[in-house]
Order: sequence, then C-alpha cells, then structure tokens
Amino acid sequence: MTALRAWLSDPNPASRRQARLGQAWLAWQRIRRNRLAMAGLVIVGLLLLVAILAPLIAPHDPLAQNLSRRLLPPGTPGNLLGTDDFGRDIFSRIIHGARITLYIIALVAVTAPVLGLLIGTVAGYFGGWIDAALMRLTDIFLAFPRLILALALVAVLGPGIENAVLAIALTAWPPYARVARAETLTVRSSDYIAAIRLQGASAPRIIAGHVVPMCLPSVVIRVTLDMAGVILIAAGLGFLGLGVLPPTPEWGLMISSGRKYLFEQWWVATMPGLAIFIVSLGFNLLGDGLRDVLDPRSAAR
Amino acid sequence: MTALIEIENLTVAFRSKGREVRAVEGVSLSVEARESHGLVGESGSGKSTILRAICGMAPVTGGSIRIGGRPVPTPRGRAFSTEVQMVFQDPYASLHPRHTIDRTLSEPLAIHGLPGADARVVQALTEVGLPPAFRFRYPHQLSGGQRQRVAIARALMLKPKILLLDEPTSALDASVQAEVLNLLNRLRAEQGLTFLMVSHDLAVIDHMCDRIMVLQHGRSVEEITRDDLAHARMTTAYARSLFDASADRMLDGTTEPTS
Repeated sequence: MTALRAWLSDPNPASRRQARLGQAWLAWQRIRRNRLAMAGLVIVGLLLLVAILAPLIAPHDPLAQNLSRRLLPPGTPGNLLGTDDFGRDIFSRIIHGARITLYIIALVAVTAPVLGLLIGTVAGYFGGWIDAALMRLTDIFLAFPRLILALALVAVLGPGIENAVLAIALTAWPPYARVARAETLTVRSSDYIAAIRLQGASAPRIIAGHVVPMCLPSVVIRVTLDMAGVILIAAGLGFLGLGVLPPTPEWGLMISSGRKYLFEQWWVATMPGLAIFIVSLGFNLLGDGLRDVLDPRSAAR
Repeated sequence: MTALIEIENLTVAFRSKGREVRAVEGVSLSVEARESHGLVGESGSGKSTILRAICGMAPVTGGSIRIGGRPVPTPRGRAFSTEVQMVFQDPYASLHPRHTIDRTLSEPLAIHGLPGADARVVQALTEVGLPPAFRFRYPHQLSGGQRQRVAIARALMLKPKILLLDEPTSALDASVQAEVLNLLNRLRAEQGLTFLMVSHDLAVIDHMCDRIMVLQHGRSVEEITRDDLAHARMTTAYARSLFDASADRMLDGTTEPTS
C-alpha cells in the first residue's frame, strides 16, 4: 500500500501512465477531503450499485400485478415501501427504475456534452462568421424553455426512452457550447497555443489536443450539475406520458400514476419522488465537489 | 550574399474600434546567418510586434519579410516552422498546463511525422540541462527557469535555423536569468543558430547580441554594434538614455574598460 502510494506521488514519474495516475491520485486526495462531495459520490455510487444489482436486490418482480394487495401503506410485511394501484411493489419498482434513470443519464452524458464541446470550441477557436453562425444557432436553442422543446421533439418523434434521450440531448447541449466557447476564447490567445501553431499544428489537432483539455473540467462540472436537471426532465416527460411508456418502472411515470391517490395514498407518488430527490442531490453535491477539484481557477497550482 | 533574415520597410497596423494603430512603422533590418541581433526599446516600442509579424501572429500591412532570400508564405505553413521558432516571454504561460513535458516536447515531432520521439525528448532535455527524470512532470511541478528551459527545448525540437527570443529572461530572477542566457549562448554556438532577440534590458542584450537596433514608438532610432555599446558610442539621445538606465549593471559583466 505504501509502495503504491510512493509510486503514485513520485515527483519524477517514469512513464506517461504513472504521470497521469499520479495526477488522478492527487485529485482523489483533494475530493476525499471534501465531505459533501464524498456524500455525493457515495449516493451516485449507490445508484450505480443498485442499478447493476437490481434483479438481485429487488424483493419482487417490478411488473408483477396483484390486485388483492393494491395500495398497501409503507411498512407492510413484504412490501417495504407499500404497493401502487396495481398491487406492484414500489420498492422493487424504484430499484429497477434506477436502471432506466442511469441509462438516460449515461446516454445524455455521452451525447450532449460532446456536441456542445465540439460546437463551442470550433466557434471559439475560429471566431468570425463561424462563431457568429454557431452562437446564433445556440441562442435559438437557448431561447426555448427546455421542457417545451423536449416536448415538441417527443411529440414529433413519438414517445419512448430513446426518443426522450434524444430530445433531452438536443435541448441540453447549448449551455455546454457556451461554457466551451468562453473557455476557448481565454485559451486561444495564450502563448502555448501560439507556440503549437508556430510548430505547424493543424486546427483540428489544436482544438482536440490543446483546447479541449482546457475546456473539459468546466464542462464536466457543468454536466454533473446538470444531471439533476436531466433526471427531472426525463421524469417530467414520463409524468406527461411522453417519455418512457408504462408499465416500465420509470420514476417520473410512477409519480404520474400516483397523482390520483396523492391525498389518501401519498406514498405511491412520494417514494419515487424521494428517489429523484436523493439522486439529484447526490449529483449536485458531486458536481460542487468536482468544481473544487477540477476548476483550474480554484485549484492551487 | 543575402542575409538570413531580411526585413524591409515593415509596417504593422492594428485596427481597433475603427482607429488604426501603427505598432511598427517602416522598420528595416537584416540578420546574417549565425548572428545574434538584438531589438531594444521601452514597452510599446513595437519590438515584440516585429517578432510576431515574422511568425504570422501580427498582420504585415506593409513591407516584406524574407527568410533565406525567399518571402515568407501566408499562412506560414509547416516548412516555415522547421526554419523559425520562438521562445516566449512568460514561461508560466507558454507551456500547456495539462500536458506533461514529454507531451509538450514530442508534439512537434508528431505534427511533422518525425520518428524516434523517445530518444529525441531525452536528448532535448539533456541539451538544455534538465535531468531526464523530469520528462513526465507537469509544468506546475517546475520552477520558472526550468520551464523556460523546456520552452527552449521545445523550440529546438524541429532543429530550426532561426530562434526568435521575446524577452526570454525578463520573467526570471537575476541568477536564473544568467543561467538561461548562458544556455542560449551555448546552444547558439553548438547548433549554429541565428538569434533575433527582444529585450528592454541593455545588459541582457549586451551579453547576447552582436548588433543592436534601438526602437522607439515603432520606428528604428539607431543601429549600433556591441563594440559601440560597450564604449557608449551612441548617437541619439534616446539610445543614450536607455544606456544610462542600465549602465551600472552592464559594467559588472563586461571585461572591457569603458571610457
């Protein structure tokens, strides 16, 4: 253990891999000192674990209906968080819902930021009319309320989990483009970019190898902070019946179906609501912590 | 025989808010191969702009720049980068903060598709007097002087003939400054480099350059040799006032007695 630590904190790394791992280790040390970020990391880690092990943890089949046991309150033996209007176990449905939530988050996280980074760095690096055209396009997308635009897209494409993801991704990229462009503008005129340009590097090489690494931390922070919003929009689409289709155990959909019983059987809508709340909180805390660790302006150099 | 760098009537004008600002106006100079030429002047005198114009980082609005007898192409292109390289003023800003020294030094080789990057990087580090153990460090793990050595190594990776030095030591403290200047002198002798060096400090210029051009408000005021400088033989009042400002420090370094 101490040998590994010495290897990681060696001031003179012997290989590219060691240098990179050493930096990652330092970042990990910084995030470990931040209690709130650790709390966020634990919540996100738990979400991952629950999603992976869903069939093993869940006590019941999330789709198995039992009309003789409908709308049982939380704490009923065999149904920890109660049952919904079809007698399905809410606890099992929330556990399986973690998979869908994570699936949506993962798909949005690999599409929207990539698109935003590409548009933002290209606009910032080239400037001129390219910048003007791309940024006006971004402005147009930013001018719509996100949920309304996602609704319009789903209405055209038809409901379903993939279409919901596509709609969310298409509405989520403009803020990343903005962040990436702002970061690119500060980096573009720096000496190290002038130096690499003087060495004959092509524009794609400079953008991919030199500009993007500088934009990545702020975009990653932004993505983590936005994840809560993505969960909420996915839940919102589900709630409006335009996201995931029933009987899939999606959290937003579960809240929607519990709405009818909100006053007498409050737990049907409250339990998935709590799940959304906890996961959103987890991502927000993690995002805040990552900002402290990754942000080049706040990190001690 | 034509000089290696020939600049004729160079004018650089920037347009800012509809107003034209002329940073350099009608400057001509020529630098022979293996010569070290200095550009001196106060800040805003256009000396750095001349270097930036050679590299294509500032617009050439008038006059011509020729390297080795041929006019420089616009954009400068890859052939240009194997002939001319630049060392920047601030070593804290000229290295990519998220790239290791190894990446910074091997990038030019990768761009030009040159083989043997591993050996070349180690060789480059030893040439500038850095231990090869520093290879995988990040810039923030180095001191200012060490960073400037890395920046010099990077500029030499493509084996250029001409090195443009934009106040390479003004961000360093005095003892480190001398080390870096000696390193540059050694490399020039070893690799037969041609220097075009900008400084506001006559003591540095005196240590480095054979010929000096004094600039004021974007115009050339006077061109003198090192010998003239050592004997305080300048003709214009402006050059004399620059000399007087740094004379006491300069005399420590020179062995020649001045009258």
